[in-house]
Amino acid sequence: MTTNAPLDGGKACAYTDYESGDVPAEYPKTGADATGTEAEVWEALREVEDPEMPVSIVDLGLIYDVTVEDEQCTVEMTLTYTGCPARDILLNDVKCAAETARSVQDAEVRLRFTPEWTVNMVTEAGRDDLREFGLSV
Amino acid sequence: MTVDPSTATADDNATVECPYCGSTDTEREHPKGPSLCRSMHFCADCQQPFERFH
Repeated sequence: MTTNAPLDGGKACAYTDYESGDVPAEYPKTGADATGTEAEVWEALREVEDPEMPVSIVDLGLIYDVTVEDEQCTVEMTLTYTGCPARDILLNDVKCAAETARSVQDAEVRLRFTPEWTVNMVTEAGRDDLREFGLSV
Repeated sequence: MTVDPSTATADDNATVECPYCGSTDTEREHPKGPSLCRSMHFCADCQQPFERFH
């Protein structure tokens, strides 16, 4: 009989292991010191919410960098975990948001998993939004 | 009490605060919630189930 069950008897993914990690000093980035078009992009990204929770992806700490050069915008971001099912939605939302900035012709979104995202990257404002939604952080 | 072996995780002893009443008299019921970044908990004070964001 064909089955999708793991060959090792289910040990490979017996449970989800949540660990809280350290956050490098420069994270989470919120674009607070950005200027010009980059500040405009950060502002647009702030409007993008997680598809499951009413919290900005900027407050979740998912945006790692925003650079604009010759009307070409590059956004570096991460996901809360590598297999996030909202991956395509978020990447597209971020690209569209970045392209709403006046001096941006084209935006490229690059996914990064370094540094690793942890719940400690959520900003204070993000924590308040999550609590209000009924989630413990 | 552990019913299912999959309910063990690294932060078994972490204090989780109820988002509704702020009580820490809570118990994790399952490490998996409606999505992988959430787990299921129950507050003994306000008798409400809630989720924790990881």
